[in-house]
Amino acid sequence: MNHRCVLFVIIAAMVAIIPVSAVEQQTAAAQVMVTNVTLDPLVFMTDDTGTVTVEVINNGAQSVAISRVTMYDEKIRVQSRAYDTTMYLGAGNRMTFTFTVSAPVPDGIYYPVFSMDFRDAGYLRYPVKLQVQDKPLKVSILSKPDVFTGGKKEQVEVLVGNPRDNGVSGVIVYPTGEGIDASPSSIFIGMIAPDQSQKVNFSITPRQSTTLEIHVDYMNGINSHAEVIRLPIDLGKSKIRAEPILSNIQIERSGNTYSLTGDVNNAGLEVANAVVITTGDSVVPVDPYRKYVVGTLQPDDFSAFEVTFTAEGTDRVPVEVSYKDNDGNLYTTTTTIDIPLTKPGAQGTGEFPIVIIAVILVCAAVIGGIVWYSWRKR
Amino acid sequence: MINLLDLLVHPERFFSALEGKEPDLKIPAAIALAGAVVAAVAGYAQSSLFSEMFSGMGGGAGVGAFIGIMAAVGAFFGFLVIWWVLMAGVFHVISMMFKGSGNFTRTLANTGYGLLPTLIGSVITTLILYTYLPRIAVPVIRNLQDAAAVQKAMQEMMLDPAMKEFTQVSMAISILFLVWSANIWIFGVRQARGLTLKQACITVIVPVTIFILYMVYVTFSGFSMLGGA
Repeated sequence: MNHRCVLFVIIAAMVAIIPVSAVEQQTAAAQVMVTNVTLDPLVFMTDDTGTVTVEVINNGAQSVAISRVTMYDEKIRVQSRAYDTTMYLGAGNRMTFTFTVSAPVPDGIYYPVFSMDFRDAGYLRYPVKLQVQDKPLKVSILSKPDVFTGGKKEQVEVLVGNPRDNGVSGVIVYPTGEGIDASPSSIFIGMIAPDQSQKVNFSITPRQSTTLEIHVDYMNGINSHAEVIRLPIDLGKSKIRAEPILSNIQIERSGNTYSLTGDVNNAGLEVANAVVITTGDSVVPVDPYRKYVVGTLQPDDFSAFEVTFTAEGTDRVPVEVSYKDNDGNLYTTTTTIDIPLTKPGAQGTGEFPIVIIAVILVCAAVIGGIVWYSWRKR
Repeated sequence: MINLLDLLVHPERFFSALEGKEPDLKIPAAIALAGAVVAAVAGYAQSSLFSEMFSGMGGGAGVGAFIGIMAAVGAFFGFLVIWWVLMAGVFHVISMMFKGSGNFTRTLANTGYGLLPTLIGSVITTLILYTYLPRIAVPVIRNLQDAAAVQKAMQEMMLDPAMKEFTQVSMAISILFLVWSANIWIFGVRQARGLTLKQACITVIVPVTIFILYMVYVTFSGFSMLGGA
């Protein structure tokens, strides 16, 4: 054989061998399949950023050469780069590919495509389901007082609910507001599972009319979210507060001193602590009862009291009733009572004036003398 | 011409001089009217306390003036009727038990003469009243319809130390001058009704003593007014 014949045989052999090798590669690539897809977060919110992790396995008996792995979609933005390095997926081995994606899209279900290109054996396309649900946590006020009172601690109960299809984590609830003292300052709830809710209680003490804001911060995956509800607070009188009422009032005068007696009733629904009764500025309290300490008055309870005072140039006496609620806040109510008017007169000393006594004695002497004289003359 | 000094100091001689004469009511009536005028003045002065009491009401000044007029008129006729007519009637009736003779006109006249010391006593107590009035503290009533408040105010005024003091002083002076008048009445009734001295004493002293006891009782036990105790 000459050299031409030998070259022909070699070329013919190579042509025959190459097609056989490509078929084997395609057969091996066909054994590669996606076994698991993991999304974090499980359900995205609009503009959330998260990861999509795709796990593949080579179920074949031969390793497979992978030239490029990527993910793409028209709406879902893939932020991480593609896997461009050639790699081999051995027989029976698993391999995971993670892509960072963001979802600047409205609610809906999207299917970004996981794409794996094999060397000399085509490619693998796998649409990944990605749900976007723009439902935030729901915050509601379960209970609050009908009326807030300045400086009085009131309980506010808050319910945080998760209407989403996935759980959220790192949930923190905290109230804020100008002139508001809250206790505790914040409450950490942590994870809230889908369709679950959590109640939290705060003690709110407003100092002024303001707006109470209940903030809820939480995480959906790595994305921070916040919700807030606002509760206007207009300070007023509590409907159930203690309400001291004065009754059976009597004022008696002894010299220049007035004695005011009566009953104080608690017509409210709360306990009145440290009830003290005294008179206002327009009169001058004097001993023995400058102030009268009643103590604690339960609802519907009453107690007698007495205060003593002098009043110059006024015909009304303001009676001040002060008490404290269970939080120690001091309340004062003033009831104005008319003093029974008395024409001012110089009070008697209790002793007969000497002049008057002298007049009486003189009259007695003169009359006695006259009578005696009239009978003696007979 | 009657001698008032004899009337006051020698009543027996005074009334003896009237024996045989027709009873003349002019002088007794003048004495009684003078006493009534003094009583009216005293009543009007005391009513000023009530004017103060009602000054807190709307139209209180009108009420005060009305009360003042009523007090003056009441005191005027009260003096005439009680101290003169009624007292003379009592003497006349009691003296009937002793078969006293003489008509009522003479009894009335002699009783009127005997009011002269009472007139003097009324003048003195009226003058003393004016010294006490500024010292009496008067409660002021705002609502005349509130009977309890009115009664309470009345009681407070009567229990006022100055008021109580004046009441006791006026009572003492009134009793003294009433005794003086009684002394005159004894001789007057004896002359008017032809009684013995003993009968005349009984006729006069019994009602006068009862009246004095009543005055003492009222002064020290309080006043009964407006249904109150």
